Amino acid sequence: MSPFAALRERLLDAAGAVAGGAVPEILAGMVDDVDRALAEELEVFPVCHHSPASALAMARRLREKRPKVVYLELCEDLAPLLEELRHCKLPVALQAFASELDGHPADWGPLSVVAPITEASAEYQAIAYALETPGVELVPVDRSADHVFQWTPREPAESSADEAGLHGDAVGVEIGDLRPGFAELEEHLLRHGRVRHWSEWWDQYVEQPLSGADYTTYRQVMVMIGSLFRRLRPDGDDGRRNEDRERYMWTRMREHLAASGTDPGDCLYVCGAYHAASRVEQFGSGSTAAFEVSPRTGTRWLYGLIPSSHSAIEAQFGLAPGSVSIAAATWQKALRRARVKPFRLDGSPDTARAKPAPAAPVADRLTAFLERPPALDGLDEAELLGWSVDIVRLARRNGYPASTADAIAVFETSILLAGMRDRARPTPYDFQDAAVTCIEKDVVPGRRDVRRLCEILLGGDRIGQVGYAALPPLARDVLDRLEPLGLDLKARTIQRALLDLNADPDLRPCSDLLWMLRRLLPGDAVRPIMGARRLGEEPVQESWDLAIGRNQRALVELGYEGVTVEQVLEGRLRRSVHAPGATAATALAAVEDALLYLKGRRFADELGARGTDLLAAERTVDDAPDVLRRARRLLAHFRATEPALPPWCERFVTTGYAQYCTLLPTAFADEDTGVRQVAAMLGFLFGMEGLALSLGCDRAQLELAVRQSHPEAPAKVALQWVARYQVGLLSRDELRARCDALLDNPLTVPVFPQYLSGFVQALEAAPALAPVVVEVISKAFGRLPDDVLLPWLPVLITTLRDQAADLVPVLVREAGRTFPAGLPALDAWTPPWERRPAAAPVAVSGPAAGLLSEHPATADAVAALLGVATTPPASTALPLLTTHPASAEAIATLLGT
Amino acid sequence: MTDEMLRAPAEVKYAEELAYLESVDDAPRPFSWRLSPRMVRIFVLGSERADGLDREIPQKWFGDRSFVERSIVTLASDRGLLLIGDPGTGKSWLAELLSAAISGNSTLVVQGTAGTTEDHVKYSWNVSMVIAKGQSRESMIPSPIMTAMERGVIGRFEELTRSTSDVQDALISILSEKYVSIPELDDDNIVFAKPGFSIIATANSRDRGVNDLSSALKRRFNFVRIPVVTSKKSEAEIVRFRTAELLRRHRIEVELPPSLLDILLESFADLRAASAAATGDDDKLESALSTAEQIGVLEDAILHSRFFGDGALTARTLGGSLVGSLVRRAPEDLAIMNKFWHGVVEPRGKDDAPWQEFLEGGRDALGTLS
Repeated sequence: MSPFAALRERLLDAAGAVAGGAVPEILAGMVDDVDRALAEELEVFPVCHHSPASALAMARRLREKRPKVVYLELCEDLAPLLEELRHCKLPVALQAFASELDGHPADWGPLSVVAPITEASAEYQAIAYALETPGVELVPVDRSADHVFQWTPREPAESSADEAGLHGDAVGVEIGDLRPGFAELEEHLLRHGRVRHWSEWWDQYVEQPLSGADYTTYRQVMVMIGSLFRRLRPDGDDGRRNEDRERYMWTRMREHLAASGTDPGDCLYVCGAYHAASRVEQFGSGSTAAFEVSPRTGTRWLYGLIPSSHSAIEAQFGLAPGSVSIAAATWQKALRRARVKPFRLDGSPDTARAKPAPAAPVADRLTAFLERPPALDGLDEAELLGWSVDIVRLARRNGYPASTADAIAVFETSILLAGMRDRARPTPYDFQDAAVTCIEKDVVPGRRDVRRLCEILLGGDRIGQVGYAALPPLARDVLDRLEPLGLDLKARTIQRALLDLNADPDLRPCSDLLWMLRRLLPGDAVRPIMGARRLGEEPVQESWDLAIGRNQRALVELGYEGVTVEQVLEGRLRRSVHAPGATAATALAAVEDALLYLKGRRFADELGARGTDLLAAERTVDDAPDVLRRARRLLAHFRATEPALPPWCERFVTTGYAQYCTLLPTAFADEDTGVRQVAAMLGFLFGMEGLALSLGCDRAQLELAVRQSHPEAPAKVALQWVARYQVGLLSRDELRARCDALLDNPLTVPVFPQYLSGFVQALEAAPALAPVVVEVISKAFGRLPDDVLLPWLPVLITTLRDQAADLVPVLVREAGRTFPAGLPALDAWTPPWERRPAAAPVAVSGPAAGLLSEHPATADAVAALLGVATTPPASTALPLLTTHPASAEAIATLLGT
Repeated sequence: MTDEMLRAPAEVKYAEELAYLESVDDAPRPFSWRLSPRMVRIFVLGSERADGLDREIPQKWFGDRSFVERSIVTLASDRGLLLIGDPGTGKSWLAELLSAAISGNSTLVVQGTAGTTEDHVKYSWNVSMVIAKGQSRESMIPSPIMTAMERGVIGRFEELTRSTSDVQDALISILSEKYVSIPELDDDNIVFAKPGFSIIATANSRDRGVNDLSSALKRRFNFVRIPVVTSKKSEAEIVRFRTAELLRRHRIEVELPPSLLDILLESFADLRAASAAATGDDDKLESALSTAEQIGVLEDAILHSRFFGDGALTARTLGGSLVGSLVRRAPEDLAIMNKFWHGVVEPRGKDDAPWQEFLEGGRDALGTLS
């Protein structure tokens, strides 16, 4: 007969007396669940997360039983990481990470599962015992990280700043999640417990009564609570998933038992109390029910340890702020009080001889537990006094005018508050309320309020650290290579690194590495304060703010991508140019990064070649401004540093020339293509024309393209005029005349500013046209009516600033040359374009003139041929001389001719 | 007696309830308190089944229970209690309930104003008696605070920050030494406070900076900040409870249609959101949009429909009352309400009959005001 039969009967009677419906079934079911779990041959150890009582019971039980195999409710594929825990400062989180998905929806990526481990937890006790005791095997039996995503629709988690965001947006898995499944029950429990949140309730009604309880009571109570929450939980996906996990775990345990031949009596199964009350048919080492474990997907999972923190755990699992810290403090206190030596991963194996635990028959301890009110701690005056004095000191340090009188008031108020809430010993939360009441006034003087100060006082946030040995090779490599800086990179404070590269050239590799980390790590993990890395520049001095210790997670996750930073960067650059959305501009950016950070030409050439292919395949010119800017920069770099341009670069120019010539007419006509893009195309075509022609391109292609362009938008028309001017189809005077005509025509005046925008952009392609552009702008300012000019001025300014910042100096210089420098000179000033050029004097002397005048026959003949009269015009003197030649002849005789 | 008073103080109004609680209270009571702290809490926050009382005590103040607990505990300690919060958050009501439950008297009140003098806090003299008989305890007029000290009960100081610094500082010695000396008298010239004496002060957080408390006084008060109620559920409860209570004064029993209460709460929630988003003082209503303000609007609407309508509360009257109560500054508030009416209420009125009526009522009122 079950030892719980009597309790079962009593509960059924009680339920029948006060309520009907499902109550009797639930109460009897709870007792049945306890009975079942305790009767199991393979000892089930129910735990709750961050419960010092669980950890204490675990430490005691392990010393007593000394199991040979410990089964743990933890993703089975995280097993190899457990050994690394000995190199870490807890809390840390075990992480499974996958960025290359196969079998999961691509938009879920990257996938990340974290399982945080704190010191005040039963699972850590189990892990430490198993790893430190020779001959003990630790077997995680829960579904793998891959199954987590196979079974669970991913819930988007909001990442938050600071330590609370240490886990990023990973999916958290935790051992022993125990909380009522529906809000009404939780609310009811909180209300009647006179507590504010779940952690406080748990501490009050389960944690404290159980911390001094014997193992049998502990087990029975935990299974009962697990069963209660399980039975009151509404049916849903969550419940079904949990049952699948239980099937999975029991199947794995049976497989292991069969394979190793271990006696189930020598094993311990550590799982959440919720799972201890499982009713699946696979429950029990003797069950034969099969469960088919679905195969993992092809996703490649990577594993590592990342630092965690109490606040990150609280944020991820919805616990009250400070609860994990308070649990840690309670754990330390419980250890001292119970005089239990906890297991630790400190390399000192616990070799105490196993005391075989006598197999005691299961006795009912539940009845006694349920009959009496929770045995709460008495007032710990010394502890409360300590807290009261410390909070006042802490408050004073944070700007509060707190005094000893406040310490007394806090002490007194805590006791009064606890009394009012029906408890003798003030909980940390009562103390917090009291401190807020007595110390907090109308304003918070510093950064932290009293509530936050209490959290700090009662444990504070503890942030874990992954030890050097447990870091992935990349992270270790980074720390090794930054060693010459002489900084403590594990510290969580920001470290300032000063690099004088002239004085200490050995630091140059550090600088290179820092720049790569800057490119790869997110946010402000490494931040340059002084110094920049640009093509063609040699660094002299640099200063950096390094927060690598604080961003250990990012560094560890970088380690999943490769063994060295260079390899990761190379991989990322290569992936960026082969990504489906890659463009020629991204490829050129990758080339630039490769030259800046990786130095090697081979890889830059490979990326450049890919860029050329991408450019040839492009059908739009959206990126043209970027391409032009980067191509110019790279060409300048290669010309300055290399004897000859790299072959890909030449091919890029010729491909670009041909490509842009082909696309030019479409770009001019297409409404969706912006003026800036067309201007950049023209800039590429005219700016690199010389190089392109020398590499065998044909200018006729460009001429043809310009002739074929028939834009309609005014700005593009202006661009086309400039293009025609550049290829020689339009003279400067004609261009000027066209502009004047626009200004003279009242119908085109309103759109004139758009033409002007085109001209400004055209400077990209034809910098020599700056005087004309200045002239056109001046005329516009002079002649455009205010209602057209004024609305357009802001547009001109924003256009210049956003799109043509590098063209502004050209314009300003030209304007400076054109306009007078001082105000007085302005009155007498005539714009150069209005000055009539003085008629050039005809040259009448010189050998050519002499020859022509002496032998005019040839010129006359040509003139006759062309129909031009060469005879001098007839005058009135000639007939007179012909009629009366005597005077003339006499003069000739006199002169002797 | 309550029938003869326009507004009965809490200890009169709930006299029977207090007497019952006193009769069943077997827990130890601090000083001369009428009820134990636990019973005071039950009186303010209402009873639950778990409290084991054989009758139900209704909830009278709505808000976080920890505020009430902290307030009660403060009064049992050496310090005064300062309730601080936005106008209309129920500070005075809580103070009144606490005094009624603890001392059985909530009327020992000093109202802090710019004109409050030290005499109002300590004592003054009956001039004709002084002339006739000279200065004696007989010719002295004790202030409510001094009376509270003599009786060992709770004294109240409303709007502490409205009074000037010298008046505020008169409280320092009262709170620390717990006596008031009367230098004008030769003997019997000190009034000592009896056990149970404490002060509940209230301060409006919007008045911050007008007459800031000195740090010496701050130290002698425990501050409990009462926030504006943001939970729609509790706010609905408060509005319903308080409106019914106020209307009982007018002997009006009105059934409040839930849809109208929803409209009121929703409008206030929207107006609060708009106020929170406003950048300058001209962009937000002068009203604090507190729960008390909602109760005022509702009461006004009910009275209006009672005396000038057909007795039943309609959405139209509610719209008019809302506009009438909240528009206080001529161009600014009017402009904000106009915007609210066109931008928020109008779209809602398109396919919802009560909102449509509400819209029209408000529009009429806006038309009259502008």
